[in-house]
Amino acid sequence: MSDMHLPASGLAGDVLNTEEHRDFHLVTFALGEEYGVPIRQVREIVRVGGITMVPNSPSYMEGVINLRGRVLPVLNLRKRLKLSAVEPDRASRIIVAEVGEKVIGLLVDSVSHVIRVQAAAIESAPEEVLEVDTDYITGVAKLRDGLVILLDLERLLRREKIEVKDMNNEGGIYGEED
Amino acid sequence: MEYADLIRDFLDDAEGHLNVIDGVLLSMEKSGRDKQQINAALGALHTLKGNSGMMGFESLKGYIHHVEEIIKETGDGEIRLEEALEPLLESANVMRRVFRQIGEDPSARPDLAGETLALIRFSEGSRDTAGAAANDPATYLGARTDTIRVEFKRLDSLLDLVGELLIFKTRLNQIGSDIRQVVPQKSLTKELQNGLELMGKTIAGLQEGIMKARMLPVGHVFSKFHRMVRDLSKSQGKEVRLILSGEDTELDKTVIDELEEPLLHIIRNAIDHAMEMPGERLAAGKDRRASITLSAAQESSQIVIRVRDDGRGIDKEKVRRKAVEAGLLGSDDQVTGENIASLIFSAGFSTRDEVTELSGRGIGLDVVGRNIGRLNGQISVESIEGEGTTFTIRLPLSLAIIPALMAEAAGEVYAIPMSAVDESIRVREDDIHMINNREVIRFRERVMPVVRLGEFFGLQGRRGKKLYLVIVGRAEKFIALAVDRLRGRQEIVVKPLDDTFGKSEGIGGASILGDGRIVLIIDVLSFLRTTR
Repeated sequence: MSDMHLPASGLAGDVLNTEEHRDFHLVTFALGEEYGVPIRQVREIVRVGGITMVPNSPSYMEGVINLRGRVLPVLNLRKRLKLSAVEPDRASRIIVAEVGEKVIGLLVDSVSHVIRVQAAAIESAPEEVLEVDTDYITGVAKLRDGLVILLDLERLLRREKIEVKDMNNEGGIYGEED
Repeated sequence: MEYADLIRDFLDDAEGHLNVIDGVLLSMEKSGRDKQQINAALGALHTLKGNSGMMGFESLKGYIHHVEEIIKETGDGEIRLEEALEPLLESANVMRRVFRQIGEDPSARPDLAGETLALIRFSEGSRDTAGAAANDPATYLGARTDTIRVEFKRLDSLLDLVGELLIFKTRLNQIGSDIRQVVPQKSLTKELQNGLELMGKTIAGLQEGIMKARMLPVGHVFSKFHRMVRDLSKSQGKEVRLILSGEDTELDKTVIDELEEPLLHIIRNAIDHAMEMPGERLAAGKDRRASITLSAAQESSQIVIRVRDDGRGIDKEKVRRKAVEAGLLGSDDQVTGENIASLIFSAGFSTRDEVTELSGRGIGLDVVGRNIGRLNGQISVESIEGEGTTFTIRLPLSLAIIPALMAEAAGEVYAIPMSAVDESIRVREDDIHMINNREVIRFRERVMPVVRLGEFFGLQGRRGKKLYLVIVGRAEKFIALAVDRLRGRQEIVVKPLDDTFGKSEGIGGASILGDGRIVLIIDVLSFLRTTR
């Protein structure tokens, strides 16, 4: 049994799950800072275009695109993470991510690389230095040329709590006694 | 663990197993013998038998054993399914009755000797005829079946492919007309034209064929309510019979699936509240047995489903009071045949605090309104106090491909399902008037609110001198959707919108056009709901 290089926090375990992923691949992209998601959650990367706005949806919903006949919702990742807004430009990309059974587009400033990271390079998120809400972060990968923030897509895509109104009995529309 | 707890667990568990058995029998009644279904029923029965024995209900255990035998033999073909169904359904009733008895008095030890004997007689009788049949091998050939079972997912993916074909066809037609403009050889373009037309016809035929293959008789849902009506009315001391008609009417499976819940709520509500006790009915000069009629029929391109009861009818004054309380109606407004449906199907209409055992499980008529809306359907109510109530549900034949009116507002194109469109008219800005700070239009003796589609969606648009109004609504309520331009009618393939981040008010789905663009489909019902 080889020795494990998991960080003391154990946080990386969420991303890695098994030791065979001790070295694993990240797709990194820019949102001001460098972010990354495990490559197994990325289906493809497409250029931005033909986004149809969906009215009356949350502000971080950029709209929907036609991905080969499929209507794909696109999330503006900056807005979802409550970072300062930036207009999409030619470098902008949509990362088509697959999380569980959900497929969703993530609008990012630009896609940087696919990098290989050692589990040992991952640490828990240092709250004080990050602009982004640490709830959505599984950890930080320390590389030679800087930090990559690892996003927790599962949590990011989790349905926001919807308040269910208390529905009472409908009954008394008929002429019965109350 | 107390004995009472054990009994409760046992009964809870038993209810689940009985439902499995009921489901298997009803499904085989519709689609014939099925090994998997038989095994599911056998599994449920086996557990029931074991638990009954463990709890000391020996007679019940013996009875279940014989039910098991009959199902086993039906599975092996020793007893014909058609013959076995009736006694098996009856046996589920017997078991249900016994469980209820045990629930009322856990110390009871129900004696099922008579019922068990009947089962044994039945299975021996059937085996005898089976034995006789064995002498004539020809009996085993039976009628050759001309149906096959196909997983619905496969049909769904076929329909998706047809949807894509439709998109490509539109695209090819566009390219075809572009080519005609620049290619001078008439014979060539003519041939192209012919080819495109033929392809279009074939695709239409393919589409129709697949749509038909997805259809199921509505009796599929209807028949599920027999048991509910029986059980509910019995438990309330009421006498109610369920009359079905038009069960053969066919509907797309997705519609059938969505229909069950709204019907359930309407029927349940009727039994709980509309149906009088037998004595009260007799005193009112009615038949002591109340009836609920569930009917289906196709009327042009719609399916019309009616739930009619002969109960006490809706008390309009009571509805008025509740609606005023809930702020849905001004204190001087009246409840009319026109607005009653939109009132009782509103979220927020229910104002009752107490919760009855049966209807109070967090469900209500607003769910009905919502579900029917999701199906692009319409619902209306007619009621005569003292005589009864009729709910009429109108549904499109299919959910997957629908005709829609394409309309442009603030530079965006939207699809409005034709099922909700009454007509569309061209008007001048001057024709729109303000009443109580609201824009309205007078049209055909009616005054109806005008909703500007672009503004509803928070889009900026320029106002021209002229605009188009698309009148949408259901029997009792109409609104005029103001748009800049109409782009004609088109068959569109409905694709659902991801609702991970909530449903967008006013949008019911999306579709992809020939040029690859996405159009959003208007959810007319939510416009009607938000416009009071």
